[in-house]
Amino acid sequence: MNKTSRVEFTVELVRILTAIAIAYAVALVTLFAVSDDPVYIIQQFVLGPFSSVRRVGSIINLAIPFTFTGLCFCFMYAVNKFNLAGEGIFMFAGCVISWVAIKLGESVPAPVMIGLLLVIGALTGVVVSALPAWLDSKFNANIVVSSLMLNSILMFLSIYIMMYTMRDTTIGSLGSLPIPDNAKLPQILGKFRIQAGLVIALIAVILVAVLFYKMVFGYKMRVVGSNPWFAKACGINMTATIICAQLFGGALAGLGGTCEILGNYDRYNWVATTQHGFDGLMVAVLARKNPLLVPVAACLLAYIRIGADVVNSKGDIPIEFITVIQGIVILMVAAEEFMGRYKKKLIYKAAEEELAAKEKAEKESAASKGKEE
Amino acid sequence: MLTLDWIGNFGYSVLRLSTPLIFAGMAAVISKKAGMMNMALEGMMLCAALGGVVFAGMTGNVWIGLLGAVVIGVLVGAVIAFSSLSGKTDLYLTCIAVNLAATGGTVFVMYLLTGEKATTSAAIKAYTLPTVVLPLINKIPLIGPMLSGHNVLTYLAFISIFAVWFFLTRTRLGLRLRAVGENARAAASVGINVKRIGYVSFLISGVLCGFGGAFMSMGWVSFFMKNMVNGRGYIGLSACNIAGGDPLGAGIAAVFFGLSDAAATSLKSQTSFPTEFLEMIPYAATIIALMVFGMLRMNRQRKIEKGSQK
Repeated sequence: MNKTSRVEFTVELVRILTAIAIAYAVALVTLFAVSDDPVYIIQQFVLGPFSSVRRVGSIINLAIPFTFTGLCFCFMYAVNKFNLAGEGIFMFAGCVISWVAIKLGESVPAPVMIGLLLVIGALTGVVVSALPAWLDSKFNANIVVSSLMLNSILMFLSIYIMMYTMRDTTIGSLGSLPIPDNAKLPQILGKFRIQAGLVIALIAVILVAVLFYKMVFGYKMRVVGSNPWFAKACGINMTATIICAQLFGGALAGLGGTCEILGNYDRYNWVATTQHGFDGLMVAVLARKNPLLVPVAACLLAYIRIGADVVNSKGDIPIEFITVIQGIVILMVAAEEFMGRYKKKLIYKAAEEELAAKEKAEKESAASKGKEE
Repeated sequence: MLTLDWIGNFGYSVLRLSTPLIFAGMAAVISKKAGMMNMALEGMMLCAALGGVVFAGMTGNVWIGLLGAVVIGVLVGAVIAFSSLSGKTDLYLTCIAVNLAATGGTVFVMYLLTGEKATTSAAIKAYTLPTVVLPLINKIPLIGPMLSGHNVLTYLAFISIFAVWFFLTRTRLGLRLRAVGENARAAASVGINVKRIGYVSFLISGVLCGFGGAFMSMGWVSFFMKNMVNGRGYIGLSACNIAGGDPLGAGIAAVFFGLSDAAATSLKSQTSFPTEFLEMIPYAATIIALMVFGMLRMNRQRKIEKGSQK
C-alpha cells in the first residue's frame, strides 16, 4: 500500500466513523427531545443492549441475517446495480424452505435436511434475482422499479403459500404448521443462545471475500462496477458478469432467509416483508462493499436495533425512528463531498511529499553516481 | 355484472386510482427531462400525505392542509437535491435512503403527534378536499358518473399533464431544463446554471408529489395510514419510463396502471379467487409493461441502427 492509498483508507475510515457518530448523535438528541424521561431512555438505548447475556446474544443473532443481506448487496453494489430483490427473496426463501421442510417431515436425517434446505433457499434466491437482472440486461427495464415490484409480488405469493398450502388452523394466530425438529439449526454458545446460522454466515463471509479479492471473477466484477468503459475495452463480458454477480447476491439473500427461519422460528408466520433487505443495503454501504467489513457493520446495525428495541419496550419511543437514522447514515457515507475537500487536501499533500522524497533520492543517487565517475 | 352502472362506477374508480399515479408520473417526467431518475417519489408522497393531514388537522382548513402537503413535498425534494447535487451522493442511494427514512419517519412523527402507530384516523379530525360536480356533463349517462363528482385533485392531475407539457415545451425554463437533460455540459457551455436547474426540477417534482400525497390522505381516504403510498411512486416512475419521459404518454400509462389497480379492487369484491393473486395485478402489470416497452424501444433502436448502415 503506498502512501496516498493509505491516506485514502484512513480518511475513509474517519469519514464513516464521523457519519455514524453524527447519526448516533441525532438519535440521542431526538430521544432527548421526545422522551419524558430522557436520561433513563438514553441510558437504555446506549447500554441496554449490553445489560444481559441474553441481549448480547440477540445482537449477534440479529447480525446474522444482516450479514447475509449485507453480502447480498455487496454483490449488487459492486456491479452498480441496485437490485433490491433481496428484500423479497429473504421472505420468499423462508417461505419456500418452510414448505419443503413441512412436506418432507421428520423422516429425513437432520444434517441431510438442513443441507438440502440451505441449497433450496440459495437456489430460490438465484432464480428470483435472475428476473430483474434479466429484465435489466435484455430490455433495459429500470432495475430498482422492477425489483421493488417483484418484492410486492413475492410478498403476496409467500402469504398465499402460507395461507393455502401449509396453514395451521388449530392455532389462533396466522402461521404455518410447525417446522419439524430435524430441520432446526441448533443453538450454540450456551447462555448466549446464538443460532448455528452464525457459522454459516461466517463461512459465507470468508468465501465471498475470497471470491471478491482472490478470484478472477471478483476482479472482473469490481472492474465492471468501478469503470465500465475500461472493462469493456479489456474485453470483459459485461452482461454475464453483471448478471452472475446478482445471482450470487440472490443466493446469499436466500441463505439469509433460510437461516433466519431454521434458527429462530418454530413456524413460518411472516405476513409482510421483513426489512432485512433494506437493512442489508445499509450494511453494504457502511462496509463500503467490502465483504470482510460486512459482519462489523452488521453488528453495529444490530446493536442500534436492539437498543431501539429496548427503548421501544421500556418507554414511549417507537422503534421506527431507527430507519430515519439509517437513512442519514447512508446519505452521509455515500456523500462524496462530505469531508471530501479534507480528503483531497491530505492526498495531495501525501502525493507531494512522496514526489519530493523521490526527487531527493534521485538527486542523491545522481550525486553518488557523479562521485563514482 | 356488465351493466351501465357498473361500467360507470368502474370508470370512476379508474380515474380515482390513477390520480396519484399521474402526479407521480408527472413528477418523474420533470426529473427525467432534467436528466435525472427520481426514485424518491414514494418517500416524497408519503411525507406529503402525512404533512397534509397534520396541517389540516392543526388549522382546521383543508386548503392549508393541501399547502402543507406541497411544502413538505418541496422540502423533501430540496433534501434530495442538496445531497445529490451539492453533496455529490449517488442519486440512487439518496433516493433509496430518503424512501427508507420516509417509511419510518412518518410513523415516528405520527406516533409523536397522535400516539398511534397505524393510522391517524382516530386522533386527527378527518378532512377531505371537496369533490367537484361538473355541470351538464353529470347529466350524460355512462360518461357523467365516470367523469363527474371526482375530488378536485383528480381534475388537477389531468390538468397537470397539460401543465407539464406546456412547461417543458413552451417556457424558457422548460427549454433549459430539457437542454440540461439532453447534455449537461453543452448546456453549461452556453451559460445555463446546471446545478440550479437540477434544484428546480426536484422542487417542481416535490410540488407534484405534494399534490399526489395530499390526494392519498385527503381524497382517497381521509386519514394517514402507515406506508399508504404502497409502491405508487414507483409505479408512477415506470409510467414515465415507459413513455420515455413524454408527459402525455406518461399520463396514458398512469391511467393504464390505474385501470389494473381498479380491476384488482373490483375483482376482489366479486370473485372467490385468492385475493393474494389479485393484489399482485398492479405490480405484475408494471413489470410486464416495463418489459414490453423495453422490447419495443430496443427493436426501434435496432431498426434505426440498421437504417444508418445502409
